[in-house]
Parts: sequence; C-alpha cells; structure tokens
Amino acid sequence: MARRTCVFLVASLIALALGIAASSQALAQEDDAGGEGQTTVRAALTGFENNLTPFTITFATGRPDDLLMLVYDSLFWSQTKEDPEAWLAESAAPSDDYRTWTVKLRPNLTWHDGRPLTAEDVKFTFDYFKDAPPGRWTHHVTDVPPYDSSEVVDERTVRLRFAAPAPQFKILPGADLPILPKHVWEDIESPGTATEMLPVGSGPYKLTRIVPDQRYRLEANEDYFKGKPLVDVLELPIVRDTSAAFQALRTGQLDIVTEDVPPAVVERLEESDQIEVHRGHDFASTELRFNARKEPFDNPRVRKAISLAIDREALVERVLQGDGEPGNDNWVHPESPWALPDGEHERDVERARQMLDQAGFRRRGEGVRESADGEPLEFSVLVSSLDAEALRALQLVERQLREIGVDMNTESLDPAALRQRTTPGPQGPPQHDAYLGTFDWHAHTDPDTLYFFFHSPGKKGIGAIFTGWSNQRFDQLVERATTMELDERKPVLHDAQRILAEEAPLITLWYREDVTAYRPAAYSGWIDDSGHGLFTKRSFLEPYAEVGTADAVVDEATDSWWWLVLVAVALALLVAAVLLIRRRRSASEEQSFE
Amino acid sequence: MLTRGLRRGLGYAAVLFVALLLNFALPRIAPGDPADYLLPPEAAGDVTPQQRQEALSDFGLDASIPVQLQQYFVNLAQGDLGLSVRYARPVTEVLADRIAWTAMLVGGALVLSTLFGVLLGFASAWRRGSAADTGTLTSVMVIDAMPPFFTGLLLMFVFSVQLDLLPVFGALPASGATGVALAGDVLERLILPLVTLTLGYLGTVYLVARASLIGELEEDYVLMARAKGLDARGIRRHAQRNALIPVTTITLVGLGTLVGGAAVVETVFSYPGLGLLIYDAVLTRDYPLLQGAFLLLAAGVLLANFVADLLYPLLDPRVRPTGAQVG
Repeated sequence: MARRTCVFLVASLIALALGIAASSQALAQEDDAGGEGQTTVRAALTGFENNLTPFTITFATGRPDDLLMLVYDSLFWSQTKEDPEAWLAESAAPSDDYRTWTVKLRPNLTWHDGRPLTAEDVKFTFDYFKDAPPGRWTHHVTDVPPYDSSEVVDERTVRLRFAAPAPQFKILPGADLPILPKHVWEDIESPGTATEMLPVGSGPYKLTRIVPDQRYRLEANEDYFKGKPLVDVLELPIVRDTSAAFQALRTGQLDIVTEDVPPAVVERLEESDQIEVHRGHDFASTELRFNARKEPFDNPRVRKAISLAIDREALVERVLQGDGEPGNDNWVHPESPWALPDGEHERDVERARQMLDQAGFRRRGEGVRESADGEPLEFSVLVSSLDAEALRALQLVERQLREIGVDMNTESLDPAALRQRTTPGPQGPPQHDAYLGTFDWHAHTDPDTLYFFFHSPGKKGIGAIFTGWSNQRFDQLVERATTMELDERKPVLHDAQRILAEEAPLITLWYREDVTAYRPAAYSGWIDDSGHGLFTKRSFLEPYAEVGTADAVVDEATDSWWWLVLVAVALALLVAAVLLIRRRRSASEEQSFE
Repeated sequence: MLTRGLRRGLGYAAVLFVALLLNFALPRIAPGDPADYLLPPEAAGDVTPQQRQEALSDFGLDASIPVQLQQYFVNLAQGDLGLSVRYARPVTEVLADRIAWTAMLVGGALVLSTLFGVLLGFASAWRRGSAADTGTLTSVMVIDAMPPFFTGLLLMFVFSVQLDLLPVFGALPASGATGVALAGDVLERLILPLVTLTLGYLGTVYLVARASLIGELEEDYVLMARAKGLDARGIRRHAQRNALIPVTTITLVGLGTLVGGAAVVETVFSYPGLGLLIYDAVLTRDYPLLQGAFLLLAAGVLLANFVADLLYPLLDPRVRPTGAQVG
C-alpha cells in the first residue's frame, strides 16, 4: 500500500509537469518572429477590449478611445481642440447653412489589408453607424448632428447631408468617428458579435495578435500616410492589478502604465531615476449626481445648499493627495475649450444653512434637520464598491454635511447593480436619491455635451438619465447651441453653465489629474496630447513626437528555459528521496515484524 | 453491485440537474441584467425598451424566462453553451482558453498544498507539544491568516522587485520562444501565483491532517499495537493511513472552493484563470458565461466526489461493500 501511494504520488507529479509542458505548447500558438533591431514599447492595459472594433470594445480599460484610434483613423483629429487638424480628410467645406459638408480625402490612402480607402468607405461608415445598435458613437450621427444621407462625388470626395445645421462637424463626429472599411463590414449584420476577426483599420498600427485577457500585439503600419510610426512593435499586456502594474514598471517589465498612478505610489516612482512621472489633463470629472425627480432634491435650494457645504479642496487634498483640481460648480472641465472662463466652486456653509432654512428644513440644536411634516433631511448616495477613492471621499462629505444638519449615508453596490438602480428601467424612473459617477474626457470636449447630458428628460438628448433634472431656459440655450457657429456658441454655452452652477443638479467633486509613469530609456517620444494623455497616436508619429529616435530595447525574456531544467532536477531528486526512504522504511518494518 | 452503481449514478444525475437549474436561476436573481452592461448610459444614453431587447437578442436573452430555460436545456444537449455577453464569443471557446491555466494553477496548488499540508501536519502531530510542533503550527496559522492578495504582493515584492527573479504578471511571455524555452517561461510565470495559492490552502490541509493523526494516535488500536511491542515507525504507519481519510475528503471537496478562491490570486498576477473569469462575468451579468463556468465547476466537483467514492474503499476497508475484495 505504501508503495502504491508513493507510485501514485510520483505519477501525479510527473503528470503535472508533463501537463504544464504540453499545455504551454498548445497555448503558445504560432511564433512571433521578432526581427533584429526592432523597437518595442510595452504598455500595460487594465482590461481586455475584445478585438478592438468600435462595436465590440468593452470599455474594460475605462477609456479605450486612444487605443482604438491607434488602429483606426477619423477624418479629423483631435476633438479636444476647437479646430482639429485634417487627418484622413484633406479638407472639408460646409454649405452656407452648414447642412452639407463636402469632404475631400487625402490621396493614396490605404487600409491595413492594402485596399484603397475611398469616399465610398466614408459614406458607408456614416450609414453603418446610423443603423447600428446604440453605442458610444451613435448619438453623434443620429442626434447632433442628425446625419441624413451622403453621396460619393468621386473616388476622394463625399458629400454628407444633415437634417440640421452641423457647424461643429469637424469636431464631432469628424474628429471622433472611426472610419470603417466597407469591404469588411458590409456583410456583417450583427456588429456587436463580430469578435472573430482581427480588425482592419487605416491607423498607424495594425493589430496582429490577440491573446484573450492576456495581451495584444500591434505592429507599425509601414505605409502610414503620416510616415512610418517611430516604434515598431507595441506589446500591450493586460495587467489587472494596479500595484502589480507599477511593480512591473519598476522592474522594467513594462515601459509605460496607461492607468493613473495612485497618490500612494507617485512618490516612490518619482524617486527612481529610471522612471519619469508625467502630469497632464485627461478631462475626467467625478460628481455627486442627484435624482432631481425625487424629494428632497427636486428642490434646487436643497441641492445648492449641499453644494455650498462641501469642501472640495479638502477632498482633493485628502483623497487624491493633491493630484487633481477641485470641481467647479459649472461642471465643464476648466481646460475644455467650452468651459466658463471664470468657473469656480463656491463654499459658504452659513449660506447653505440659510438656504435649507428657507427650503423649510428646520434644525433643532445640533440634530438632523426636519421638514414641516417632521421628515428628517436624510439621503443615501449609491457608489460602486470597487471605487476606493469615491468611498473615502463620501466619508468626508458625510462629515461635512453633518455640520449643516443633513444626514447622508453611503450605500456601496457592485457596478451592475449600481447601473440598474440609477437608470430608468421597465419599472419607470429610478428611485435612488443620489449616486457617485465619473464622466471621461469625451464628455468634456464635446461641445454638445451639455445638451446630451442635461437636457430635460424626454426625447431630446441622451442623458437626462444622469440627473432627471429639467430647466426650460437651459433646454432652450443648449438646443440652440447645437446648430450655432463657434463664436456665437460659446457665450450661449457659458450662460447654460451658469444655470447649471446655480441649480446644481450635480456637484462636481474634482477633476482628477492625469498622472502617467513611463521609462524614458525604452521610449522618450511621448507627447502630452491634451485630453488624450501620453498613450495616443500622435506620440508615435514623427511630426509630433518631441524626441524622434527611440533607443532599441532588446527583448531578453527568452533565456529562462533553465527553470525547467531546475524543476526537472528537483522533481527527480524528490522522487529519488521518497523512494529511498520508503525502501529503507519497509526494510526496517519487515525486521520489526519478525 | 449493479443497483448500487445505478443508484449512485442516479444520485449524480439528480445533483447535476439541480446544479443546472441553479446555474440558470442564480445569475438572473441578481439585480441588473446584461443590457445594463451592453448599453452603459455614458455611452448609449437613454435607451428604449426595444433597444434593450435588441441588444439582448444577439445572446438569446430577449425571450421570456421559460423560453430561455427551455432553450438552455436544448442547447446544452447539443453541447452549445451560448454566446458570452462580455466576450461576444461562444462560451465554450472562452472556457477552453482558461481551462488549461486553471488546471495548472488550481490543480498544482491542490497537489502541493495537500502534499506539504499532510507532510507537515503528520510531522506536527507526531511531535505534538514539542517546540517544532508549536513553531510549525504558529507559522502555518500566520500564513493562513494572511489574505492571499497580501501574500501575493509580498512575494511579488521580494522575488520580482527586490531579487528581480520572476515576472510580475501574465501567464504567457511576450517573447516568441518555443518548445522547452516556452515551457520554461510559462512555468516561471506560474511559480508566484502557484505558491501564493498553495500557501492560501496549506493551512486548512495542515490543520485537518494534524488533528486527524492526533485523533488516531489516541485510538485503542494504537495502544494495543504499542502493548504488543510495535515500534514507533510501525505505529505511525498504521495511524497515518487512517488519518489520511479526512484529508482526502478535504482535498477533493476543496476543489470548487479553490477555483473560486483563486480569483484574487489571478487578479494580483493577471493570471487568466476561471476564478477571475467568473468574477468578471458576475460584474457584467454575463448569464451565458456564468452558466457555462458554473457547469464546469459543478462537473468538476461531482467528478471529485466520484473519485472520492472510488478512493474511500481503498483507504478504508470499513466502507468496502461486503463481499467485495479490494487490494
């Protein structure tokens, strides 16, 4: 019996070793033959984005736009500027009423598969997005501006028609919509499930390999119209754990981490002379969003009073440890071209108390305020249980609001449950009091975001779901602005932001700073493309990248086969030892039973 | 004998059927549904109920619950686990991508923690009360009390950052190695997660093994053997064999727990195992993927039970069917 156990043990160990060897072979698929002298940059992603098409990305990385646009191109670039640069387009001219745009493409554009990129593809893209299921790009084709139809004038020219004036066409959808190859997508009826193919784009990088949930490999598009990208290969491993990502950066297993450096790690990384920490704006905001359809937040006085009582400086200081700006009352990121120039955040605890008194919530002593009917002024904020920063911030807010006699509590939920509780469903409008959410860069650069996100609930806009707030004058302003030219539009949007600041349907807590860490020895051409951060297409293109030549990084991970030998030897020794002991033991046992 | 086997087979079938029903029902009971994931308000905005239904129709989730249930069993009979919402790929493919990694990680951890847990546990029990026993017991308890993500980060810090010996993340190297070199790379990337997971489960096995041998050593037959003049080694041999029975149970039953519990370790080391997959699938309310993954787990646990059923008569003559001759 002892021998049998022993044999079983040895056999299972050997089976395990063999299994590892065999499955690693099977899983490795084909070989990536890396050429000599190629430059490689290894950048960590936080999640898997399927096969990087506009219809199958998952938003697991938070903001996949810049990743996607390494593979694809838009007509213009980038939407963070008032006047984006012509990209695939050579020029675009509007009609007098801005309802028609005639776009002329650059000559000799090609797709990654070598086929020519023509006006036919542009027309197809607009038609396809219009009919596709709703997604990240849909409302820029169906709502503002409302795309109607288009005609191909010649190989390089397309005329796009809109149902309303589209003065900001160059920004949106021009600098946003990825242009798709007709020959790939025309036969695909269900784009959301087209995950089996490698994407065909026209961008600076071709996606050449996907290992689900583990990594992507992108290779430079040698025929790119802006010149061959400066880095030959982008290895994009998926690193799920933030601490692990920064450990890997410190050991040189990664060259850049696209995720923001957490405040606790910044100092340690800054100490290293191998690592550069870059600070910029990524136009993200974190807000407390009220449910303005429900008591007590249907009362603007109550919302404003809470806004006045929150000390945003303290939040930035204590939660972000200074890596951010306090949120402004007018919500729009101060660096956005559309922001109110004198945007500010007002804090006045005394006025907050008065406003609550006026709203009919009286306070006896130091307790919680009560309405005339004796209802206490209390509410709960829903927040994602995965968002540690937000949870900490809400603890502080809770304490700040207690000072004005408001009882706030925090309810943390998993993201899916949070979404379900805050969006209108078949059962009607949501019944939460308030929740904590973030908007990303795209929201703050889109000139029509105020319309999309804060127009009264109803047919217009997409985002009354965020607050349920309605204000007639605001609606008129933002609706009018959608069809206005730049110069007229700005003052109108500023007026709208003033209303937003006064009515406070949401309270912007902070704008997080974009803090990116990288190893300059691997690649130093990173440029800070405002709103995009460092990991964006222009960082890899000669005309933009500040340092043109990258030091070659030789992949040295191949010489680690000795581990296998070591393990095999250890296994053999173990087996030998066990056998020896067993034999000796059974020998002595036989003696003892004599 | 035949009826016995038949009865056992029927038992397994019944458990599997209940598991299948639960796999279908549990994900759907949780608040929220895949449409919330497919159409996030930040991207898709205020969607109409029709649009929600359309988004779900790609995955066959737009039908009524009874129809879905019926379809689920029909597809299952054909080996079709449906389309994952998160990956928009067949669930079978998504699971196939993961199963080898989980087999290596969880299988390895199960074998190693059992091996070391039993060796240490028996050694401890034999020297019960000695300094060696107290020392081992204390250190194992300390390791057991450490949350796996902490152990993982600690190991990572020591072996990857300070000593620069082992990689920090991933299961597959980016390099184009093949053959032996590739197996070496894969093994190298397995070490830290495997050790972390092994340490996480070691304590349980150790405690069971230790307590079980202590119990056996107090039995009458040990006293009897000693009285008959059997030497220590002989006594230990007899007692240990009996003490293995509870350990076997713990090991085989632990399989399911370990797959789920591996999620934390898989997150820390970005290891593409089933645990992390299930965690993500829960967050995205990916019903088809959850059904598939749970089915796999249920099948694994049932298999482990089956193995345990077969092993028991070998380990313990008392549960052998009367008349049957084994070993």
